[in-house]
Amino acid sequence: MEIDKSDGPSVTIRESERDHVNFILRDVDLSTANSIRRTMLAEVPTLAIDLVEIDVNTSVLADEFLSHRLGLIPLVSEGIENLTYSRDCTCDNYCPKCSVRLELTAKCDTDSTMNVYATDLAKFHNGSRLGDPVIRDANRRGPLICKLRKHQELRLTCIAKKGIAKEHAKWSPCAAVGFEYDPWNKLNHTSYWYENDAAEEWPRSENCEWEEVPDPYAPFDYKAKPSNYYIDVETVGNLPPNEVVLRAVETLQRKLADIAIELNKETVEASNANAGGLTTYGRNQFDDGGDSPGMGRTPYGGDGGFGGNSSWN
Amino acid sequence: MADTAEDVHMTEEKVEEEQQEQEYDLDKIKLLPGASEDGTAASFQIIDEDHTLGNALRYIIMKNPEVEFCGYSIPHPSENKLNIRIQTYGNISAVEALHQGLDNLSELCTVIEDKFSEKIEAGGYKTTEP
Repeated sequence: MEIDKSDGPSVTIRESERDHVNFILRDVDLSTANSIRRTMLAEVPTLAIDLVEIDVNTSVLADEFLSHRLGLIPLVSEGIENLTYSRDCTCDNYCPKCSVRLELTAKCDTDSTMNVYATDLAKFHNGSRLGDPVIRDANRRGPLICKLRKHQELRLTCIAKKGIAKEHAKWSPCAAVGFEYDPWNKLNHTSYWYENDAAEEWPRSENCEWEEVPDPYAPFDYKAKPSNYYIDVETVGNLPPNEVVLRAVETLQRKLADIAIELNKETVEASNANAGGLTTYGRNQFDDGGDSPGMGRTPYGGDGGFGGNSSWN
Repeated sequence: MADTAEDVHMTEEKVEEEQQEQEYDLDKIKLLPGASEDGTAASFQIIDEDHTLGNALRYIIMKNPEVEFCGYSIPHPSENKLNIRIQTYGNISAVEALHQGLDNLSELCTVIEDKFSEKIEAGGYKTTEP
């Protein structure tokens, strides 16, 4: 097994910029790498406008159309860990502990068209950058929300809440995640469509330079497993890309911990039940110390790899 | 006066404790029918999880040499449920195997996280400051 031979997973960072990080993840299983990719895309919590209270809207855009546009505006989400999910909060509807309020008032009094930008959103001061619209354009105006003609008016309050992209894509910290493995297609996970010759007709991946050119006459290695993953995380600006990677791993760990806690609770409850109910399935029998389960007893430790003292022999 | 203040403080603490308890989903995981008598084989149902966790967990549990079989399935695409089946060779229980899997995967995550932050701090990669 590849993983057992090496000293665990490794990371090589190729590029790290304001809005994207490009790195190679090595010596992990495809399932693990894919878990990280999926978590980065859909389960890292961020802040986005979720509720819009419209007082006046005489613009040409319908209320729901405007609300949708407002929801998609990236908001700075650094410090989101201090905000609770609105559904878990003790308040009735929303409060400063679980939301950020932004207000928009705009009225056009001139003959020319007026542009309303994300920077026109006035945030209720909360002592941090959390909830400020992300500005990336040269004019420092932010995304365009709406255009107003003479006498048209907008007056609304936005409530930004914490959420994850699994619920709505507006909460995604990533614009895209590039994910490639086996650029030479040695594993034949991809089958290329071609007219005469696939190698001629398809452009070669940039990542090919990072791997050895395969011998075209070598027999197919049916035992080969992917081991190098070329990952390119591109963010929308609400979180720095490095932070997205780290938070994704943390999110994944939190999910695992939540299940472990619930599983413990269930076994404890079950052990109190009378005979005929559930049993603990001998979990406590194996406790040979105060350390975490899985350490020392499993062959992940000293023996290294398969075999060891398992019942396989 | 001092006593009352103490009391108030204590009740606050209690309330906080209750809130902490509430945060955990009560039926996050349950045992499905079809477990063996000795508990070396069992199926679990995890709520609100998908392939993100299922595939990685299946892989890491299968890596455990005490485990004979581990498989997962999402029984229906529009139900947020994840079924996971574990059968061991008999030295450990299925619950134990699941616990080890959760711990091992969490440990793997820690290693990846540490390696990533280490390399970010070390520098030596291309950067363009805006």
